[in-house]
Amino acid sequence: MRIVVAEDLYLLRDGMVRLIEAYGHEVVATATTGPETLEALLKWRPDVSVVDVRMPPTQSDEGLRAALAARGEVPGLPILILSQHVEQLYARELLADGTGAIGYLLKDSVFDADQFIDALERVAAGGTAMDPAVIAKLLSSGPSNRRLERLTEREHDVLSLMAEGLSNQAIGGRLFLSESAISKHTTSLFGKLGITDDDNNNRRVLAVLAYLNGV
Amino acid sequence: MRQATSWVKSAGVGFVRACVATVVSTLVPVVWAGAVVLAVWWASNPWSWIPLFVLASVATFALSRPICRIFRFLVARWTGTVITPGYLEAAPVVQLSTGYWWNGTSYSRTSKEAREDQELRLRWRDPATWRDLRFLGIAAIAVGVPAAIPPAGIAVAVLGFSRSTAALTVLGLVVAIAAAPYAWRSVEPVTVRFLGASAAMLADRVGELTAQRADTTVAQAAEIRRIERDLHDGAQARLVALGLSLATAEKLMETDPSQARALLRDARAGAAMSLTELRELVKGISPPVLNERGLVDAVRALALDLPLDVSVDAGGRLHLDPPIESALYFGVAELVTNVVKHARATRARISIARDDADIVVEVEDNGRGGAETSADGGLAGLRRRLAVFDGTLEITSPVGGPTRVKMVVPCE
Repeated sequence: MRIVVAEDLYLLRDGMVRLIEAYGHEVVATATTGPETLEALLKWRPDVSVVDVRMPPTQSDEGLRAALAARGEVPGLPILILSQHVEQLYARELLADGTGAIGYLLKDSVFDADQFIDALERVAAGGTAMDPAVIAKLLSSGPSNRRLERLTEREHDVLSLMAEGLSNQAIGGRLFLSESAISKHTTSLFGKLGITDDDNNNRRVLAVLAYLNGV
Repeated sequence: MRQATSWVKSAGVGFVRACVATVVSTLVPVVWAGAVVLAVWWASNPWSWIPLFVLASVATFALSRPICRIFRFLVARWTGTVITPGYLEAAPVVQLSTGYWWNGTSYSRTSKEAREDQELRLRWRDPATWRDLRFLGIAAIAVGVPAAIPPAGIAVAVLGFSRSTAALTVLGLVVAIAAAPYAWRSVEPVTVRFLGASAAMLADRVGELTAQRADTTVAQAAEIRRIERDLHDGAQARLVALGLSLATAEKLMETDPSQARALLRDARAGAAMSLTELRELVKGISPPVLNERGLVDAVRALALDLPLDVSVDAGGRLHLDPPIESALYFGVAELVTNVVKHARATRARISIARDDADIVVEVEDNGRGGAETSADGGLAGLRRRLAVFDGTLEITSPVGGPTRVKMVVPCE
C-alpha cells in the first residue's frame, strides 16, 4: 500500500514509518503540519494515511481538520486518525459523512503491530477501525440506548466488536466462537435493531455505526 | 464658513446638554425646595416640618442611585469616560433544605422577600450609597449652577423681549450662546472626581483580593502537590518497572526465550497502563479537547460521555481567556458530576451564552433538588474559584427539584 504519515513529533513519525515499512508497505510522503497534511493527502491520494490530531501551527485539532477537509474534497479517502486521547465528539464528526474508510484509534494501538497494520488494511479496504473505548461510550449513551437493552450480553459483545470494524471471522477469533455462530448472533441482533443485514462487511459496519451515531 | 457651522453646532449641542445637566443635577434641590415651600405654607404648628423633612429625605435616598446612574450614563455618552458604579454586589440567595431562603444575613419565606431584605441592608452599609448622596449635594452647585447659565440667558432674553427691552434681549442671547459650548463641561471632572471609587471602597476591594489571592495560592500548591504525587506513584514507578522488565528480558533472551517473551509482553502492558494513567492525569490538569476546540466543544464532549441525557445549548466558538475557559469547564464538570452522583436526574441541560459583559453558563437538571452548600463543600470551592475572576455562582435547588445552577463570569 502507498501510505502518507502525518505526525509532528519526530520520534513517533520515524517509528511509525519504520513499522509500516517493516510490514512491506510504502510510505510515499510524511507531513508535520496541518496544511502540509492536507496538501500531501490531496497530492498523493494514498491508499491509506495515518494522521495525528494535534499538529502545528496552532497545536489544536489541525490534523483532524485537514483529514475532514481532504475527505470533503475526495469522499471516502481512507484515513486513520491517531491521537493521545479519543473523544466521542470527534468520532461522531468523522463518521458523520457515512462513507466509511475511516479509523480513529489511540496512539497506544501501535503497541500491537499486527493489529495496527490490520486496522490500516481494513481502513484502506473501505472499512473502519474504531477505538473500543469510543464504541463502548457510543453503546452506553445516545438515542440508541433504549433499544440496545433488548440485546443479549453475547450480542452486545458482537455488536461492539463489529462497530470497531472487525469482520465476522475476526470477531469469532476474539470471542473464541465459530464464524457461523457469530453470523447467527449478527442476524439476530440486526433483527432486534431493525438494520438490514448485508453480506458486504464494510456496509454492515457502517450501518451499525450510523445506528450508534444516531443518524 | 465651516468654522462658523461647527461653532453653531457645538453651541446647539452644548445648549441641549446644559439643559439636561441642569434638570438632572437640580432634581434633589427641587425636592428640598418644594419641601421648604410647603413647610412655610403650612406653618400651622411648629412640628409640621417633620413629616416633610422625612419625606424629602426618603425621596433623596430613593433618587440617589438612579440620578447617579444617569450621571454616569451622560458622562459615558458625551465624553466616552466610563465610570465603574462600584456598588457592593449582593451575595447569591440560596434556598435551604428547610424551604426557607437565606440571603447571607437572615431567613425569609420567599426568595423575593429575601432579596428585598438583602437589598435594603446592602444599601445601608454600602459606602457607595453615602458617596452618592455627597455627590448629589456637590453636583447641584458644581454642575447645576454653570449648566444653568445658557437656559437662564434664554430666560432673560425672553423676559427682555416681552418687555420690549432690546438691551436685555441681546444680553440674554449673547450670554446663552457664548456659554452654551462650555456650560455643561463641568459634568465630567465633577462626576469622575466624586462618583469614582472612594478610598473605603478601594480598601474593601483590596481586602477581598488579598483573601482571594491567598485562596488561589493554597489551591494551586495543593494541585501541584497532587500532580507530583500522581506522577511519582504512577507513571514514574511504572517506567522503572518497565526498564526492569526490559533489562531482565535482555538477560533471559539467550537462556530462557519464553520467559523473556512473557516479560516483554508485561513491559508492553505496563507501557499501555502508564499511558492510560498519564492520559487521565492530563485530562485533570487541562482536558485536550479544551485546548483543541475551546469551551463549547469541550463541554459537548463532556456531555456525550455522561450516563444521562444531556443537551448543550451554545452558539459557535467563544474566544475566552484560557484561565476563564478552564475554570468554567471544570465548573461544569463538577456540576454535572453532582447531577450524576446526587440528583437522581434523567435529563440535564447545559447552556452557554455570552452577552456584552458576561459569560453565563447554566446547568439544570430534572432531579430531586435539595442541593446544599457547606462551607468546605465542592460548591463553595467552585464559588471561590469563580470569585478569582469576579465571577458568581447562583444555586436554586428547592426540595423536590429541579436544581438550577448559574455561573456568571465577567469578560471584556
